[in-house]
Amino acid sequence: MMAEQLYMFLPESCYLLMAAALFALSLPRRQSHRRIYAWALALSLLGVAGAAAALAARGEMFFTAYRVDLFSQVFKLLLAVATFLVITICGDLAGVEERYHPEFFLFLTTCTLGMMLLISAVELMTIYLSLELSSFSLYLLVPLRRGDNIDVEAGVKYLFIGVTASCVMLFGMSYIFGAVHSTYLSEIMDKLPLWIHQPAAAVGLLLTLSGFFFKLAVFPFHFWAPDVYQGAANQVTAYIATASKAAAVALLIRLTSLTAGTSLYLIDVLMVLCVASMFLGNLVAMVQSDLKRMLAYSSVAHAGYVMMGVLTMTRLGYAASVFYAMAYLVMNFAAFMVVVKVAGEGQDLKIADLAGLHRRAPLMALTLMMALFSLAGIPPTVGFTGKFMVFTAAMEDGRFWLVLVGMINATISLYYYLMVIKAAYLAEPADGQEPLAISASTRALSYALIAGMVYLGVFPQHFLGLAENAVKNIF
Amino acid sequence: MTPAAPNDYVLGLALLTMGLPLLAFFLVFFLTRRSVGLSCFISLACSAVPLLCAWSLLLGHWRMPVPLLWEVVWMSSGGATATFGFLLDPLSLLMLTIVTSISFLVQVYSLGYMAGDPGKGKYYAFLSLFAWSMISLVVASGLLQLYIFWELVGLSSYLLIGFWHHKFSASEAGKKAFVMTRLGDLGFFLGIIVILLHLGDLSILGLNQNAALKLGPGLLTASALLIFCGVVGKSAQFPLLTWLPDAMEGPTPVSALLHSATMVAAGVYLVSRIFPFYQASPEALAVVLAIGAVTMLLSSTMAMVARDIKQVWAYSTVSQLGFMLMGLGAGGYFAGVFHLTTHAAFKALLFLCSGVFIHHFGTNDFFVMSRSGARGLKAPMICLSVAGAALSGVWPLAGFFSKESVMGVLAGLSNPLWLVVGLLGAAMTAYYTFRLLFVMWRPCESAEDPLHGGGHGEHAAWAYWVMVLPLIALAVFTVFLGWGGRGLEAFLRWHQEGVAEAHHGWLVWASVLVVASGVGLAWLEFGRAGAAQAGFLSHLPALERLFARRWYLDDLYRLLLDYVVYGFFSRLFTINDRRVVDGGIDGFCRGTAGAGWLLSFLQSGLLQFNLFSMVLVIALVGLYFLLV
Repeated sequence: MMAEQLYMFLPESCYLLMAAALFALSLPRRQSHRRIYAWALALSLLGVAGAAAALAARGEMFFTAYRVDLFSQVFKLLLAVATFLVITICGDLAGVEERYHPEFFLFLTTCTLGMMLLISAVELMTIYLSLELSSFSLYLLVPLRRGDNIDVEAGVKYLFIGVTASCVMLFGMSYIFGAVHSTYLSEIMDKLPLWIHQPAAAVGLLLTLSGFFFKLAVFPFHFWAPDVYQGAANQVTAYIATASKAAAVALLIRLTSLTAGTSLYLIDVLMVLCVASMFLGNLVAMVQSDLKRMLAYSSVAHAGYVMMGVLTMTRLGYAASVFYAMAYLVMNFAAFMVVVKVAGEGQDLKIADLAGLHRRAPLMALTLMMALFSLAGIPPTVGFTGKFMVFTAAMEDGRFWLVLVGMINATISLYYYLMVIKAAYLAEPADGQEPLAISASTRALSYALIAGMVYLGVFPQHFLGLAENAVKNIF
Repeated sequence: MTPAAPNDYVLGLALLTMGLPLLAFFLVFFLTRRSVGLSCFISLACSAVPLLCAWSLLLGHWRMPVPLLWEVVWMSSGGATATFGFLLDPLSLLMLTIVTSISFLVQVYSLGYMAGDPGKGKYYAFLSLFAWSMISLVVASGLLQLYIFWELVGLSSYLLIGFWHHKFSASEAGKKAFVMTRLGDLGFFLGIIVILLHLGDLSILGLNQNAALKLGPGLLTASALLIFCGVVGKSAQFPLLTWLPDAMEGPTPVSALLHSATMVAAGVYLVSRIFPFYQASPEALAVVLAIGAVTMLLSSTMAMVARDIKQVWAYSTVSQLGFMLMGLGAGGYFAGVFHLTTHAAFKALLFLCSGVFIHHFGTNDFFVMSRSGARGLKAPMICLSVAGAALSGVWPLAGFFSKESVMGVLAGLSNPLWLVVGLLGAAMTAYYTFRLLFVMWRPCESAEDPLHGGGHGEHAAWAYWVMVLPLIALAVFTVFLGWGGRGLEAFLRWHQEGVAEAHHGWLVWASVLVVASGVGLAWLEFGRAGAAQAGFLSHLPALERLFARRWYLDDLYRLLLDYVVYGFFSRLFTINDRRVVDGGIDGFCRGTAGAGWLLSFLQSGLLQFNLFSMVLVIALVGLYFLLV
């Protein structure tokens, strides 16, 4: 019995262990970055191994408030991989002050832990507590940045908007509890479809979702994204843009499945938010000059594409969204890896700063180009396959106009991604800019990411099957 | 008709044709880019073998009884399955031969054209990428595969136009080409999804046989029109026709390969590929016909005033593609495909000839070329004239026969308007082609001394001959291809015996007359001794400006982009975004009120404003739930 419980809790245990180890490492007065980095890297690799090993775990824990199934385990593996990837690009944390380095890794770990708990939580209070564990870690990570006060401002903004979203979410949860007298998702799922035509239940569910809209940066909860993306250290931004989005997708799927698609009004509202996110993200991204800000708005747009699969509330749609989340994780991480490597001092990157990247670091330019083509949905990259799945799912649900809007947006997005590619490939480097030194490990990572983006795009079958099996568990 | 499985020999040849260019791309791009000689060799070898394979496939299946189909499942989700493979039937074999032949000739030609360019290795890598995508597009067995390679072809076009990094306009043009064709692909993609959902099957054979039975007429027309959007984008038809002339900023061999003979023809190829599907919807065919006609007329007028030799051919390509679509739209499957075939030969020839002149004289203006002594280059001059005559439809060159067959189809329509449009287009084509030829042959004496631009005239003789040899090969095709029309017709119409298109005796004379009048007008203005070399349009400045500015289409798009997208939407949405509007608001506050409190209110108030809008949206949603 004990062994079984431990096996189910294996990924979380790994990160608990990691957090404890990093906390111990943060205690001595003198610290060496290399040592902490090596520990963090090793422990996060252990985390990936743990999450992979526990992929087959099934069962319930903690008075059935915590469910371990394929759906949760796939997302935990995604999270573990994303965390590991982000830690690999923290080799020199130029953007964070030296004395905060142990805390940086510690909060990264607790945030991952929080999100892992969140993914498995099937009870409203557990969901709320896990969400706050991950959010508070991020609130602390954002202002850790060295230099001007833009980080503090971003941190404050993030905190305020996050807290407001939490309030709204708690408010919504109280409505749900009031309507069905339970906080367990399984019981809510049984009763909610009967109650969904009561405004209280529908409003309650929507308000509950808003906590995850905030994480995913869906309109109108996106206001933090540009400031936080720009204000946080590049590595933190990479983490927010990859890992925390995946967790948000998981919870959106879990919570929307509660209605079993019975509330057409809820779907209407989700559709409005989806369309607004896509248009707002893409149109505003066109006028940005800061690369991370542009990627922030592009993430708002991508939240819209993911929502398109979620709002169909069909098995195919959910599977498409899970696949899209995987795809987004890989391609967005590839883009941010280039940002981190090109901004050697941890500074913000203007799009114009990329000028001549193909001369200074051809491999980085290639990785960036592939990542952006993938984000724009050009075949044969994974971005195309992801969009294709999402659009097909929406179309199968009879949402022609939504797909049309999505396609128009994909075309708009190509426009600003090409501006970045143009800067990287077609502009000449400014005088005196040295070629970038790219380490062998970064080189290997770049090749792996490019290969991954193409492989997932050309042979999606395996991962698509995994996503389909995973979503079977939530109904 | 049930397709047969290919035997091992055919399978091997087909896979070799499809695989080798990709192999070349990887080898050159990742390994041998730095060593130019090796890169060229790999790339050339990997385009020569597919050329031989394609010809042997074509000749080996000259009288094939059933199409050959080979497929593997690519991905399946829910009830929908997408496959990957190849479909060999007369149409795809013919197109495969065209693509591999021209691709090989252009690669040979590029040896000379790109001699000494530091990025030659990369250039060859992209050419191989293009060849792979185009070949896979042509033989695609299903629409999804076709779409994927359709996009890849666009991508390689973007990479090849942007190849000359130092030319700013080249990179702009590449972006324009990519975004504009993607705009059309939007419809194509939607069309594919519509078909996938209602037919559950994207295979081309299934689409051609069953679509009419299984889809309702409305759905059929809708999906056919959606797919046609992709054709409009890729083949630069009205209203998305302005990207093609701009794409001419790329190297000339690229223009020859992509932007005249193969890639832009992919749109026309797509319509012929699923022609039975289009035939099931007369409404869709009518739209194809009308769009083709409008495009043909518009772009012919643009070509009449251009001074840039590549621009003239670019407009002419657009108009000829429109002409092919007219043929298809009028129901003439063979006529459209025949014109596609001959056009590939003579238009590639025109571009490659022009490339020799551009390379030699360092200018694109054919008036300047002529004054610098273009007549001195005998072989390219003769080839240019042959190809130009073929384009105008002069007997006995290839263009004459294919044009005649399209005219024959147009004449068979009940509405004589379309034939008149076709004849008018032919007259304009003859006029602008011979305008260029006469100017090239007869330099204007009154002009200043011969100019010697910064061309590459000093390059070695081998470079010149490497460029001229492909010209001669293409010229042979241009001269003799027309006589193969009958054989080609029998080959292409394999499964519909005896549906020969009607022939009208008087039509031949009408079109000869029309062409002669176009040539005659050009001769009067440009060719005869002492001609002023100014077209009649120079007396109509308003019209000339209209044509030269491409009927203000570009200005319209610019206006839409600037005002609607940038000016309205982006500004509207960035109101919250202080880093974009910050400067403006700050300056405004200091200037008008100068009050510190106002400034601080705006600075700190933005967060409240954000929170307020969040709550407002939530409240509106809540209200929505309460009210409905």
